[in-house]
Amino acid sequence: MDLNTLRKSFEKVGYICDESTLLTVFLALDLQKPILIEGAPGVGKTEMGKVLAEILQTDLIRLQCYEGLDETKALYEWNYQRQLLRIQMNRSLEEEQIHEEDLFSREYLLERPLLRAIQAEKQAVLLIDEVDKCDPEFEAFLFEVLSDFQVSIPELGTISAKHIPVVVLTSNNERELSDGLKRRCLYLYLDFPEAEKEVRIIKAKVPGVADRLSWETARVVSQLRRHEDLRKKPSIAETLDWVRALVALNRSRLDGKLVADTLNLLLKTHADQQYFNKEIGPDGVEKILKSTDDGGDMRRCQ
Amino acid sequence: MSIMEKIPLGRDSHLTDNLATFVELLRCEGLPLGTTELIDALQALERVDLSDRTAFKIALRAALVKSQRDFAAFNRIFDHFFVDFDVYQNRVEQSDKYQQEQQEQISLADRDLQFKGESLQLSDDELKQYSSMTQDERDRLQEFLHKTETGKNVEPRFRPLLENVVKSHLRYCRNRDSEADYNKASGEGDGAGSGSTSTDQNIREKDIEAVRSSEMPSAEHLLQQLSRKLAVKILRRRRVGPRSGALDLRRSIRDNMRFGGVIFNLKRRPKRRSKQQILLLCDVSASMKQYSTFVIHFMMGLQDVVRNLSCFSFAEQVENLTPELKGRSGLQHVLESVVRHSKNWGGGTNLGSSLEELSRKYPDYLNAKTTVIIVSDTRTVSIDRALKALEKLDDRVKRIIWLNPLPIERWPDYRSVNIIASKVEMWPCNTIAQLEEVLTGRL
Repeated sequence: MDLNTLRKSFEKVGYICDESTLLTVFLALDLQKPILIEGAPGVGKTEMGKVLAEILQTDLIRLQCYEGLDETKALYEWNYQRQLLRIQMNRSLEEEQIHEEDLFSREYLLERPLLRAIQAEKQAVLLIDEVDKCDPEFEAFLFEVLSDFQVSIPELGTISAKHIPVVVLTSNNERELSDGLKRRCLYLYLDFPEAEKEVRIIKAKVPGVADRLSWETARVVSQLRRHEDLRKKPSIAETLDWVRALVALNRSRLDGKLVADTLNLLLKTHADQQYFNKEIGPDGVEKILKSTDDGGDMRRCQ
Repeated sequence: MSIMEKIPLGRDSHLTDNLATFVELLRCEGLPLGTTELIDALQALERVDLSDRTAFKIALRAALVKSQRDFAAFNRIFDHFFVDFDVYQNRVEQSDKYQQEQQEQISLADRDLQFKGESLQLSDDELKQYSSMTQDERDRLQEFLHKTETGKNVEPRFRPLLENVVKSHLRYCRNRDSEADYNKASGEGDGAGSGSTSTDQNIREKDIEAVRSSEMPSAEHLLQQLSRKLAVKILRRRRVGPRSGALDLRRSIRDNMRFGGVIFNLKRRPKRRSKQQILLLCDVSASMKQYSTFVIHFMMGLQDVVRNLSCFSFAEQVENLTPELKGRSGLQHVLESVVRHSKNWGGGTNLGSSLEELSRKYPDYLNAKTTVIIVSDTRTVSIDRALKALEKLDDRVKRIIWLNPLPIERWPDYRSVNIIASKVEMWPCNTIAQLEEVLTGRL
C-alpha cells in the first residue's frame, strides 16, 4: 500500500491525522515494524489499531495489558480441564497408556491474543493496548514476539508467524518503557489536535453537526486544554461525546450557560469542574466564543 | 550477515556516513540509539522522497526518537545538521579557510622552532599549540631556543633533549589552556559539553551546593532520569513469594499434571503489594536554599509519573506543594511560586513545630503505608521538641528516611545530626550520585 492509498483510506474511514502520523504509520506498515504510540488518554491511540484493521480489512486482535498479565493470558494456555478429563477417561476405560505428547498437542492448546495473531491465516492487526500497565517482566517477554514474530512453547517448539501481523502498541506513559521494547518499534506521539483539525474530526465522526457548533466546541475545548491546572484535560473522545450530546439536544451553537450545564461530559473530575466554575465560568466561555473574530477562523475551517 | 551488509542505500553512500554521524550526535544528547535504529532509519529513508525535507525529518524521527522528551534534542540537532545547500557550502568554505590558516600557522611554527637551522621533530598538534600561544610566550620560547643554540659547547646531540624540553613546555601550555577553557565554559554557562557522559559524571559526583548555573541543564536531565528510575521501582507492586497470595488453581493443576492430576504441590498467586505512599518533606530554610531547588526539581519529575506522592516544604511552618507540582506548570513556575509566595523560603528552621503541624493538619497523608522522606541538614531550633515530634511521626508511618545534604565528614560537627541519626535512618546525599543511590536502593 503506497502513501497516497493510505492517506485516502484514512480519510475514507474518518480518521483525521496529520502528515507526520500518516508517514510514520506508512513506514511501520512498509518496514513491517511494530508502532509504539504514546500520548494523553483519548487522543486516538487505540483507535489507530481499529482503523488499521478496517483499512486492511482484517481481524483486530486486542491484548489489553494490566498489572499481572502473563504469558498464560497473553500467549497460550493448556486446556487443563480437558487434559484431566482425558486422563480420567483413560484410567476408567482402561485404554492403552496415555503419552505426555498426546496431552500436550495442539488439540489441548488454548490460543491467547499473541499466538492468535501469529497463527492467523491472514495478516492480522495486533493491538497491544496500554503496554505501560504491564510488568517489566512481561515487556521483556514481548521482545521475542516483536523482534522475530515467533514464540516458543516448550512442549511444541518454536512457532513462527504465518503472516507478520501489524502490531500497534499504545502507552499512556504511566511508566517508562524499556529501551529494548522501544528499540523494536517505530515511535509516534499523538498530541491533542489544533482547533482546526479537531473541527475536521468532529465533522467526520458526528454527521449532521452544524458548522458553527463544531467550530465553537473545538475552540472551547482547545482553550480549556491550555489550562495547566486541569487535572484531566478533555480528550478528543470527550469532545466527540460532548458534540453528540449537543446534537441530540438539537443545539446548533454554544453559549456560556449551555457549556456550564453540559460540563460533566467534558470535565470528568469534581476538582476540574470546580476549577472551571471558579476560573472560567459561563462568562469566560462567552469571551472565548466572542474572540473567534466573528467567524473568521470558523470560515477557514469550513 | 555483517552489519554493513544489512545497511541499505549502498555501502559507500554519503548518506549512510552522514546518518551515522547524526546518530552519534544524538547519542551525545543522551538518546539510546544503536545500530538497529541506524538501519531502521536508512530503511525508512528508502521509502520517502529524500528531496522532501519534512518527510525526511519525519522518517528519521519515527525511527530514531523513542520518547516525546527527546523531540526537542532531535529537532535541534536535525536543524543544525541537515542544512540547506547554501549554508552547507558556506560551512565548507569556512572549513577550507580554517584548514588553510592552520596549515600556514604550522608552517610558520615549524620555521620558528628550529635548532641549528633544522626544524625540531614536533607533531602538527604541538605546532598548532605553539601557534595558539600569545606572542610573549612564543618570543620566550624562541629566545630559549636561541640561547641554547648559541651557548657554549652546544652539540647537535643535544637536539633530542631540547625537543623533549620544548614538547614538555607545549604540553604544559595545552593542559593549562584546556583547563582554562573548561572553567570558562562552566563559569559562563555556554552549555559546552552539556549532556555528555563525562560532564554528567562530573555533575553526579559534585556537591550540589557547588553546581553552577551553567551545569543546571545537565543536572536537571540527570534528576529526570533518576525520578523515572525511582518511579518504576515504586510502581512495581508484585512480589512472588512461596506462600504469599491466594491459591492459583490453574498453575497448581499444571504443576501436578505429572502426578496424574492429583494435587500435591500448591501454587499461589503473586501477592499484590499495596502501593507505597511517599511524603517528601523538604527543608527550604536559608541553609538549604541551593539544595531545595534540586529537590523540588526532582519532586516535579517524580510527580509526573507517581500519583501517590505528596510534597511539603518546611522551615518554621509546613506548606503543601502537591497542588503546585500537580499543576505541571513547569519548574520555573513552581520555583517562583515556592520562592515568592512561600513564607518558609530562606527562613529559620523549626523542625519540631513543622512536624507537629504536619500531623495536625494533614493526618490523611500519614498512615502505615506512608514512607516519609525528610530532606534537611538537621539544623533546627529546639532539637528536643523536634525529636519528640519525630518519634511520634515514626509511630504513625511505615518508615522515615532522612536525606542529609551535609557531607558525611561534617556530621560529627553537628549535635543535631547525631541525635536525629540515632532515631531514624539517615543517609548523606550531597551529590546526585548519592541521592540516586539512596532513593533507588533504600525504597
